[in-house]
Amino acid sequence: MTTLRQQLASPLQLAALATAGLILLPLGYVSILALSADPAVWSRLWATRIPELLFNTITLAGAVALLTLILGVSTAWLVVRFDFPGRRVWEAALILPLAMPTYVLAYVYTYLLGFGGPAERLWQLWAGPQARIVSPHSFWGTTLVMALDTFPFVYLLTRSALLSLNVSFEEVSRACGVSRLMTLWRVTLPLMRPSIAAGIALVILYVVSDFGAVSLLRYQTLTYAVFQQMTGRSDNTAASILSVLLVVLALLFLITERWFRQRSRFYQTAGRYRPPQRVRCSWLGTASITAFMSLIVAVSFGIPAYLLVTWSLSPEAQAILDSRFYGFIWNSALLATAAATVGVIVGLPLAYLASRRPTALTIGCLQAAYAGYVLPGPVAALAVLVLSLKIAPVLYGTAILLIIAYVIHFLPAGLQSLEPALQQITPNLEEAARTLGLGVRETWRRVTLPLIRNGFVVAWVLMFLQTMKELPATLLLRPVGFDTLAIRVWLEASEEYFQLAAPAALLIVLLSLPALFLLVSKDWRAA
Amino acid sequence: MTIHVEQLRPLAARIHRRFMPGLLTLLLVLSSVLAPFASSFAADKLVVYSGRAERLIKPVLDAFTAKTGIQVDLLSSGTTELVNRLKAEGDRTPADLLLTNDAGSLELARGAGLLRPLNMREVERAIPPQFRAADNSWVGLSGRFWIIAYNTTLVKPDQIGSLLDLAQPQWKDKIAIPNSGSEYLQAGVSVIRASHGDERTKKFLEGLRDNAGSQVYQKSSQIVDAVAKGQVALGIVNHYYVYRHLATQPTAPLAVLMPDQKDGAMGAIMNVTGIGITKSSTHAENAKLLIEFLISQAGQKMFADLDKEYPLHQDVKADPALVDRKSFHAAMVPLTRLAELREPTLTLIEQVGLR
Repeated sequence: MTTLRQQLASPLQLAALATAGLILLPLGYVSILALSADPAVWSRLWATRIPELLFNTITLAGAVALLTLILGVSTAWLVVRFDFPGRRVWEAALILPLAMPTYVLAYVYTYLLGFGGPAERLWQLWAGPQARIVSPHSFWGTTLVMALDTFPFVYLLTRSALLSLNVSFEEVSRACGVSRLMTLWRVTLPLMRPSIAAGIALVILYVVSDFGAVSLLRYQTLTYAVFQQMTGRSDNTAASILSVLLVVLALLFLITERWFRQRSRFYQTAGRYRPPQRVRCSWLGTASITAFMSLIVAVSFGIPAYLLVTWSLSPEAQAILDSRFYGFIWNSALLATAAATVGVIVGLPLAYLASRRPTALTIGCLQAAYAGYVLPGPVAALAVLVLSLKIAPVLYGTAILLIIAYVIHFLPAGLQSLEPALQQITPNLEEAARTLGLGVRETWRRVTLPLIRNGFVVAWVLMFLQTMKELPATLLLRPVGFDTLAIRVWLEASEEYFQLAAPAALLIVLLSLPALFLLVSKDWRAA
Repeated sequence: MTIHVEQLRPLAARIHRRFMPGLLTLLLVLSSVLAPFASSFAADKLVVYSGRAERLIKPVLDAFTAKTGIQVDLLSSGTTELVNRLKAEGDRTPADLLLTNDAGSLELARGAGLLRPLNMREVERAIPPQFRAADNSWVGLSGRFWIIAYNTTLVKPDQIGSLLDLAQPQWKDKIAIPNSGSEYLQAGVSVIRASHGDERTKKFLEGLRDNAGSQVYQKSSQIVDAVAKGQVALGIVNHYYVYRHLATQPTAPLAVLMPDQKDGAMGAIMNVTGIGITKSSTHAENAKLLIEFLISQAGQKMFADLDKEYPLHQDVKADPALVDRKSFHAAMVPLTRLAELREPTLTLIEQVGLR
């Protein structure tokens, strides 16, 4: 039996090594390019661009984190701890913004908050014709758009933490004479801290690596600057230097977050678990909660979705709905399906080996695969482009290359749900199946696969969703005449043709919605 | 050991059931994925890498397809990005033609050996020599001028005479400029350097940077829009964006100011849209047909009407709405020099810290 297992393990091992190598390759390539750059390029960038870019990126991430913390925790708290008419509706509605790519929200807000736009006209009715509101192309404008789009990460993780929180801790605190507020501060919040921190971590990583929204809002972050350097200059050295900075920034952040999470670990002690009792709201409470929820859902999803629909129905938009447009839909669906499927297939050996034969090598492979996480889209694309021309020129200019870039970039998101899915089943189950006379394959088919199916579905859906929305790698690597919906949105929206960008944007949202609900109906894991 | 066919049947059925759907999907995916690759070998097809906005060029290419039956696949992207892509692709490029909005980029591509010299009498007859490469590796199609777009309610035209005036502190927060990655900013600054020297140009750029603040745009259409709305008073753009805007919104308070026209002044900065056939194109004959179409009177006319640029064919007139070409003079820096001027210009732009 052991020999059989080893035989099975070795091709798996090879596959895992190959995947890890493939994913590390771009990172290595970019680092080498950056480190071998002329010191003069480094010092020029230090003197001109880097301080501003670092400052912009870090302050933006910080401000968005703060705003999502407030929005995410308050909404989660309200739907878990209070009972009011319509609670279930709001519970679901709060995740809707996740279906709206950030760049779509960015372009809608360019219209809404823009110079002479509807928001400004409303404000001027009240404050006089010379009054101005915050520009969408500013620090606060960008912060607002990013926060409205990403707060559901914090909301979802906080909500699930609150739901699984054992209320007895709070009761003990209250019984010892601690006030309600102090209990919240000293008991409940610290217990939720790891989940909130995980949510915020997702938000920050998202902000730091975002390309679409910052490019449409013209807000200079490192990721945007990498893309500009790549497309505006005839050598990629400066781009690779900025990329390496970006990778270091993301790594530093990930390490801090790990450390923070390890220090605060809480265990459910033996005993009974009870969910908290919901506080019934008075009509006044219901009214104010409903107003608050309506406001948040309206600005983060309702109004943008309404605008997309009306724009899509305009004659200008209808005119572009020809056979070419259906091609874009097909391309998007095809790429997303292929990338998600390949991602699951490629991720499986990594996750399986790391949970079943956790040697230094297999764990190392898994960790290496997570490298794609810190590699922003334009950087991954740059590396894939150059490497493919050197190693496998046949693939160049085909969609296969795009799929490789997607897998490198999004595999970590998939692994995050593949890995726990595999870890949850103890090997004893498989061994029991074997002792009861099932073959290796039968065991897989009848025991392991059904048990990990949910994790698989979640991983697949996650990678599908991300690929649907992906921009920078698609922009740089797409084959000739192979545009996707995301590309169409970006091309039209970057010239502020709001109507023309709307049908593609609306389709991305509509295609994302079912996948999103499928995700949330299961156990939520990082996106 | 003998194996009966009957014994195999359930197995075959099982294999069929289990693998066929997957296999079919795989085939489907593979064929679609490889299709764009294979299509570049098809006979009556051209692949054009275009640094121009899709809406400015697609109608003309569609007209070409309608006339000749030759399909044109278009990859629209940034000009520099496409030159980089061509360099990286080398012999393996699927592109037959490179179309850009900047003569400097074409000259760079020629210098890198990416384009092939052309021997076409039609080109020599239609396009004056100063608008093409010495060996006809690239051919200019239309002329564009770097002008000042101004909002007529906020600015009087006599308030400004030269591009360099935009650096004066009185225009603080009142001007919009393109970002440092745009080829026409790079070309424009190159011409200013060649005319006024590095010191003067550096001062100008510093003033421009301070005055523009965060009004740095990716697209010219956005700058024109900002000027028309009165968000800023002035903007630097290529002239045709203003006329394209006025064509759809004739009442917009928007006008064109042709800068640097005094006696002995630098002159308006000119650049051309141009096209060249890639060295590794396997459809050179079809590619020549396309160039022939674009420089023919009909093609030039279409190009001029659609894009509001100045046609380079002597016998084709520009849109009457445009400032008469004979009423102003252009800077005397040859287009072919734009390439060699570019690298030091980029360094200067970066030193100043333009976005």
